[in-house]
Amino acid sequence: MSSQRQILVCCGTGCLANNSYEVYLKFKDLISNKEIQIKPIIKPTGCNGLCEKGPVVKILPDNISYFKVKAEDVEEIIEETIVKGKIIDRLLYFDTNTKNKITDHKNATFYKNQHKIAIRNIGEIDPSKIEDYIERDGYAALKKVLFTMKPEEVLEQVDKSNLRGRGGGGFPTGLKWKTCAKYNHYPKYVICNGDEGDPGAFMDRSIMEGDPNTVIEGMIICAYAIGANQGYLYIRDEYELARKNMQIAINSAREYGYLGKNILGRGLNFDLEIVRGGGAFVCGESSALMASIQGKVGEPRAKYIRSVERGLWDQPTILNNVETWANIPPIISYGPDWFKEIGIKNNFGTKVFSLVGKVKNTGLVEVPMGSSLRSLVFEIGGGVIKDKKFKAVQTGGPSGGCIPKEHLDISLDFDSLNEIGSMMGSGGVIVMDENTCMVEVARYYMEFLSEESCGKCTTCREGIKLMLDILTNITKGNGKEEDLDLLLGICDTVEKGSLCGLGQTAPNPVRTTIKFFRDEYLEHINNHKCPAGVCKNLTSYQINSEACIGCGICKKKCPVDAITGENKKLHVIHQDICITCGECYENCPTNAIEIGGGIFES
Amino acid sequence: MKVEINGKMLNANEGETILELAKRNDINIPSLCHKKGFDGLGRCRMCLVEIKEGHRTKLVSSCVYPVKDELKVQTHTDEIIKIRKDIVMLMYLKSPKNKYVQKLAEEYEIMIPEKYVQKISDDCILCGLCVEACRELGTSAISMVNRGTGKKVSTPYDDESKDCIGCGSCAEVCPTNAITMTENENTRTIWNRTFELVSCEICGKNYTTLETLKYSENLLGQKIECICDECKKKITAATFKESFKNIY
Repeated sequence: MSSQRQILVCCGTGCLANNSYEVYLKFKDLISNKEIQIKPIIKPTGCNGLCEKGPVVKILPDNISYFKVKAEDVEEIIEETIVKGKIIDRLLYFDTNTKNKITDHKNATFYKNQHKIAIRNIGEIDPSKIEDYIERDGYAALKKVLFTMKPEEVLEQVDKSNLRGRGGGGFPTGLKWKTCAKYNHYPKYVICNGDEGDPGAFMDRSIMEGDPNTVIEGMIICAYAIGANQGYLYIRDEYELARKNMQIAINSAREYGYLGKNILGRGLNFDLEIVRGGGAFVCGESSALMASIQGKVGEPRAKYIRSVERGLWDQPTILNNVETWANIPPIISYGPDWFKEIGIKNNFGTKVFSLVGKVKNTGLVEVPMGSSLRSLVFEIGGGVIKDKKFKAVQTGGPSGGCIPKEHLDISLDFDSLNEIGSMMGSGGVIVMDENTCMVEVARYYMEFLSEESCGKCTTCREGIKLMLDILTNITKGNGKEEDLDLLLGICDTVEKGSLCGLGQTAPNPVRTTIKFFRDEYLEHINNHKCPAGVCKNLTSYQINSEACIGCGICKKKCPVDAITGENKKLHVIHQDICITCGECYENCPTNAIEIGGGIFES
Repeated sequence: MKVEINGKMLNANEGETILELAKRNDINIPSLCHKKGFDGLGRCRMCLVEIKEGHRTKLVSSCVYPVKDELKVQTHTDEIIKIRKDIVMLMYLKSPKNKYVQKLAEEYEIMIPEKYVQKISDDCILCGLCVEACRELGTSAISMVNRGTGKKVSTPYDDESKDCIGCGSCAEVCPTNAITMTENENTRTIWNRTFELVSCEICGKNYTTLETLKYSENLLGQKIECICDECKKKITAATFKESFKNIY
């Protein structure tokens, strides 16, 4: 590592949205016009994970991290920190767990408990510079493979590591590669699935944006092991920066001789092409993705003959998820035994999660498999926003399940999550607080899936639609108790009767919310009350006469003047005017506003 | 290859699907999106069967599952019957006014959750047979478009199709009569396009479109006589009769 000072400005999508590119340009501009003895190097990097506190600026080797940096702060950072070596207290990270300000972000609870393998380089390198990747041992695994290993040895190493596919299914990667290698049917293909479509998930995007070369390196290693000459990166169209950085990386890799003909003079021919996904969620399913690359309608096919035998254009194909590919180079470099020291039995290594929802520290985190959900939410995540009551965590994207507080100590691994009725999925973790309605959550996901199912199977297309109709009815106050039986019956049919993973897992949000939050469903159905105050038809607000101090804040906040009351006297909400927006509830300083049931009947 | 269906040992051919094997042996597996001559589509899910390989059982769509030696198949378990009933119920909710679906619902004795029946009845059950027919016999003028609940069969952008030859194969295979094909004196309208009809040189009846005739001539590389199917049959029968006369 060079000893020259470096200023790393995070230019991941989250920080870019907060004008981090302006910050980067301002640094460049001011530094070039300033007389400093040794000029620092300024680099735009990929996502640092803590997107909520962005833009993030790191200064090395001082190990000073500044958060929420604005362009206006740049001059001060140069004057104070770069020239005088002083730390600007205002821009430091405030650790909500320890209540301390932290100079080096690595000491923050958010980062301390993480273990980075797949996202090891992100935030540390300029993703558009292949040299940065190479400096951090990039392409060393490829050289090791090409110069010292036979294809069979590569297969053996990956198999021994017990790496399981990070796209959600958790299928053993080594077994997949070994099976594909057996078929002597050429050409063979290697595909990277970058069609991340779960709401609130951005693991793969961050890897492609922040460290594209690691994905490429993983794919070349696989091509060598199975005997493929062509690979595709299927990246969803919305991921513009990911596509751009990936294309830059492909071009640089070609220049360096890592891609193309006779790679590093070792006789391997392999090249990569980016395919833009059209934005259909279902195209993240492997066979639908392959259909899409072939220019067909993005529908999954029955995989009774697996893709490793007949995949893309009916040829043997290996498809892995972005994060899986990012794990390959370290496994080759450090060996399967190193990998197996991380995580737990049958679930070795780490998993990247995108932690979002009602949690204090939202962002991208990588933890060893087997970490507890509690530590993810309450230590790394810092707990629930405004210290409200924790209600549930939804894992695994729209077809994942909702895990209640009784199961917070669940181990984060493929098997434990499946057992409880949820799933790992690609690693989305959405935290929900007491003001989240679980019926509405289930309804929301059914709405998403009813639009995003490919519509091929009757069970999935019409079954999800029926589930959505029933749930909508319940949230509007028209539900009956027998609807729950109909709902569970349809869950069963959709799961068993559908062809691909989307349909087979679609009932998870409905099943788990009924299983763990049945009382909430019954409140909606029998008492016409949404306890979380979300379903507008089933919500009213009343002012508790004992708690009200007559401060008048609710009256001021009410957008429709539905609240009256004199100063320091009890206030009243006029139900005929109230639109149940919840402003009064959110803003009352003494929590005097109470959620009541729907009053639409009276 | 030996395959057991409902306890009966059957001789199966390499490459054949469970559904084909069953049909060949008069074992009834219901299916709505399968037609002889077409590849299995796996869309309607009615043909689900339970298979046992080793100790594991699972549900598969028999129209696409290739037979394997020593495979054990059950076609009518309680679980499968319940799923089939649900599928018909789901179809009924979407197409309550369609006669074909109504008949199915009766046959399967479906309990209908009335409040979830769609107000606007859609005749298409998205079995995909029309798309297959168009691909096999026509010009791939129609395709599945959109996804999820918005999925339907249509021409590109619902426009009058440039590729359609008006052969009517799609309407012919449609089990629910969902494809509107109307004929006037000299024209046929289908997929928003009107075609000129060609009449039979013998009986004078309109029987196909000019575009279909041209398309067939192009494929064969020769001119085709304008004779309708019925008249062709009559001619063949007459020739037959004539040739048998000489034998006896």
